[in-house]
Amino acid sequence: MTRVLGWLAALGLLAGVAAGFGYAPEEAVQGNVQRIMYLHVPSVLTAYLAFGLVLVGSIGYLATRRPLWDRLASSAAEIGVLFTAITIVSGSIWGKPTWGTWWTWDARLTSTAVLLLVYVGYLMLRGLVDEPEARGRYAAVVGILGAVNIPIVHFSVKWWRALHQPSTILGPEPSPLDPAIGLALFVNWIAFTLLFAYFLSRRIEIARLEET
Amino acid sequence: MPANWSYVIAAYGIAAAALFGYWRHLARRARALTARPGAVVPHRTPRRTPS
Repeated sequence: MTRVLGWLAALGLLAGVAAGFGYAPEEAVQGNVQRIMYLHVPSVLTAYLAFGLVLVGSIGYLATRRPLWDRLASSAAEIGVLFTAITIVSGSIWGKPTWGTWWTWDARLTSTAVLLLVYVGYLMLRGLVDEPEARGRYAAVVGILGAVNIPIVHFSVKWWRALHQPSTILGPEPSPLDPAIGLALFVNWIAFTLLFAYFLSRRIEIARLEET
Repeated sequence: MPANWSYVIAAYGIAAAALFGYWRHLARRARALTARPGAVVPHRTPRRTPS
């Protein structure tokens, strides 16, 4: 199953690159630098998915104390940190030619940086506690509290005046995207979700081996 | 409208390096754990040999 997911993710990423660079047209205002969107947006959506699974795993662990929930939460957190870091770095690179700066203390950027730090803290906490039951319990509390930050990141562009543009997708209004750009974004989102599923499957298996 | 391809290449290059690096990290960790003496490796169906 994991191997199949790996191949599907690889094919999905190839299709994503083809869609983003071959099929999607050059954006009228920003030019080619807008193609960073096919990396930036799927990364943050994958991070949301990962941290949502941390929440599910954390609640599951506190409710049942079964280690498989803790494995799900810790594995998803690690991968979520990776995708959040990619989101921040790609967004920063995109910001330089479009906003004229690598970084600004805008609500969306700041809340995303806080999101990253919360889950880096979650992983550090896990490294500090040796006893597995206590580690799972403490981490689950942080995993649940950390999830509060996900809607804050997503709605920050609505709640505060921000330099970052409002949500193009997952917003209340119909998406203003050109259909070709929307399709390229969708293909990349599917590819990133498959890659996440592949990484998660491998990471959970490693966590299980570490316990034996 | 400048092409700005260098920014696009930098963003995709860094992301590719991070994802590839993480994939290699997982592969190495899994290999190290399964190579331990007495490691239990599940989900592997033994291949049938002709009798």
